[in-house]
Amino acid sequence: MPVNIEGIREFARLAREPSELVRHARGNIGLWLTLIAVAAAAVFMLMSGTKFAVGAATLFAIWAILAVSLNLVVGYTGLLSVGHVGFFGIGAYTMAVLTSEAPYEQLRTGVIPTFGWPFFAVLPLCIVLAGLAALIVGVVFNRFRDDIFVLVSFGFAIIAYSVFLNLRSVTRGAFGIHEIVRPQIGAWTFDGNVAFLLLALVFLGFVMLISWFITTSSFGRVLTAIREDEQAIEVFGYQATHFKLAVWVISAMMAGLAGGLFASWTRFIDPNSFILLESVLLVSIVILGGLASIWGSLLGAMAFVLLEEGMRFLPFIPTEYTGQARQVVLGILLVLLMLFRPQGLVGRFRL
Amino acid sequence: MASNREGARGLPRLINVPGTRLIAALLTALALGYIAWKIGQAPPQALQFAFNGLAVGAVYALLALGFTLVYSTVWFFDLYYGAAAALGAYGVFYLRTDPALGSRLDINSLPVNVIFGAVVAGVFAWTLHTMIEPRLRRRASPAVLRTGVAVVAVAMGIYTAIVLSYPEHLQLTLSPAVGLATAAVAIAITQRVAHSVASRVNATLVALIAAAPAAVLGAWCGYLLSGAPGAGLYLSWAVSCLLAGCVGLALYRGLYVYMRERARSPLIMLVASLGILLAIAALIVIVFQSAPRPLPDAFGSTPWNIGGARIKGFNVFAIGVALAGFAGMWLLLKMTSFGRAVRAIGDDEEVSKVVGINTTVIIAVVFFIGAMYAAMAGILTGHDTALQPRMGLLLLLKGWIASVVGGIGNLYGAIVGGFVLGLVEQFGIWDLAGEWKDAISFGLLILFLSFWPQGLLPRR
Repeated sequence: MPVNIEGIREFARLAREPSELVRHARGNIGLWLTLIAVAAAAVFMLMSGTKFAVGAATLFAIWAILAVSLNLVVGYTGLLSVGHVGFFGIGAYTMAVLTSEAPYEQLRTGVIPTFGWPFFAVLPLCIVLAGLAALIVGVVFNRFRDDIFVLVSFGFAIIAYSVFLNLRSVTRGAFGIHEIVRPQIGAWTFDGNVAFLLLALVFLGFVMLISWFITTSSFGRVLTAIREDEQAIEVFGYQATHFKLAVWVISAMMAGLAGGLFASWTRFIDPNSFILLESVLLVSIVILGGLASIWGSLLGAMAFVLLEEGMRFLPFIPTEYTGQARQVVLGILLVLLMLFRPQGLVGRFRL
Repeated sequence: MASNREGARGLPRLINVPGTRLIAALLTALALGYIAWKIGQAPPQALQFAFNGLAVGAVYALLALGFTLVYSTVWFFDLYYGAAAALGAYGVFYLRTDPALGSRLDINSLPVNVIFGAVVAGVFAWTLHTMIEPRLRRRASPAVLRTGVAVVAVAMGIYTAIVLSYPEHLQLTLSPAVGLATAAVAIAITQRVAHSVASRVNATLVALIAAAPAAVLGAWCGYLLSGAPGAGLYLSWAVSCLLAGCVGLALYRGLYVYMRERARSPLIMLVASLGILLAIAALIVIVFQSAPRPLPDAFGSTPWNIGGARIKGFNVFAIGVALAGFAGMWLLLKMTSFGRAVRAIGDDEEVSKVVGINTTVIIAVVFFIGAMYAAMAGILTGHDTALQPRMGLLLLLKGWIASVVGGIGNLYGAIVGGFVLGLVEQFGIWDLAGEWKDAISFGLLILFLSFWPQGLLPRR
């Protein structure tokens, strides 16, 4: 089933003829939710000033890249992976180690050399390294399905975290890495937050375009078929394992890209950004937004960012617990979704 | 769902590539050789690591036991398990009145007490409704029965809230409950014995005759308890285990039952329980803050010196608890009609429903027991190290790994897998930093799934 092209055409048509909008909106939950989310985002921007809003929007762009890429694996191929944060972390650490010029001395090994490479030279490396890691991991993980796949992907996330925390000669352990550079083209740096936001949005558009291309191509149709019935598609002569491996690697490369952007945006990373919980939250974003739907992932990421920022305005929640309160809401939402709407808000695939 | 169990388990088939067996054998030989070499190098240190491995393995074995029980009955991974472990451990922290802990009184909050009271009330209402009501249906009108059940359930809820509100008087508040429970057990045993001695004896008469001495016994037990300040620790263990179990039962009866009716794949249940785990973990951070919390030393915290290795009495106790938990589970599953029903449901839920097993009740009890095992494991970990809000997810995963290593769905496999995982983890960090141990256990998991997906002791 070709998936998103109709949705996009629909949006284009609606944009041309506003009178269609009313007729269309009845029974189209996705449109309503998108409108609500955009309205909430606008209200939030008005209430919290530009600087805050730009930060939140950049965070949204990075989470959206992650969610869209994970949706390729979870939604389209039907592999519930909880290890995506590992690839995100590989991308982020590649960026951090290769661009940072912060001096770092270690007791046993002496001074660690710093590289100080530019952002745009390292970003392809982030992508390639995450892809390579995914290739190795994928070859091992390829034969697992369902529950067991969930378990081993948990395992990958934890192993990746252990490596980030304990491979001190490279990742500097719990101290983290400072002074990660911002992107630079010629003499012009993306120092300002708005400029960086634009860059992140460009990358988000790029990732969405690739995902859209993948999911509407014949390759994407095979993935959907694997999700529905792996044995059946093998009868037709498709090697399901090759397809799964390919989409796994592609998805990991996108996560590596997001990691590079994240490291460059925050300018400081430590292993705490890549704990298992982040991965679990990411999965819940994807499921919340909608499985097998690119717009759904955007919606999920937007809801995720808005939830945390929105919690700040609730008077009865202390500010230090907004993240936790969001987690509670997200957990309850997941339960409700599984009860009443297993495909997520605007998804097309029931788990 | 249950009918499609092979698919639901998602276990890969054994690979038939010729080299696989060879690689597996080589890996095993390498691991054993490494351990033997290490033991030869420094025997006391090896003994130390073996002790540590067994102590950690006891916790994993307990987790794996409860996990196996639930998983081999309903065939989906219930991630509430991790939350149950964390709830158990934090429950003890909540209830301990040790002045050394300091800020306990800041933590005791009315909403928490009320929530747990409500959960207990719900569980009691359901239990009475399914167990007692059918037996009394002929003697009283439905309205009277309903009201009675509601009154008892609400009373139990309020009682629970009161117990939780005054943890410093745990012995006092709990002594009536313990007394009543003792009396009830005494009556039940008398009745059972009388029934087996002379099967025609009038059960009501026996119960009436036994009631008076049982009441005295119960009152005596309650009195002893109220005067024993040292009992607070064990009571707090029992209370937090029971509460975690009640939450597990309530989750099954209030949520999973409806979900399983329409779930197309086990992943739905997994994701829903993931949501519950997320919510509970976050609530724990909100109530207890994210900093690690210590539990007071239970007992035997000064290590003994055995053959150059140091071992704490509490760790020996933990191993004992794991073995006792295994024995209890074995008796429950192999010797009672409840166990037969559980195994029947695990084999085929539809058919067991057809032959007249009340699957909802049995599975609810299974969830209760499983959550209690997890809570006990959480408590043992909490006394050994410190409490962290994240501990639940990690403990859950360790129990899961242990049951995969031992053989999914096999009771013996669970306890063997737990101890093997503990030993491998501890011997693995001999040459590495201790922080690698999670990575090591997941490496073990991936090796096992690649080469021995059926585990050490496969389910028949």
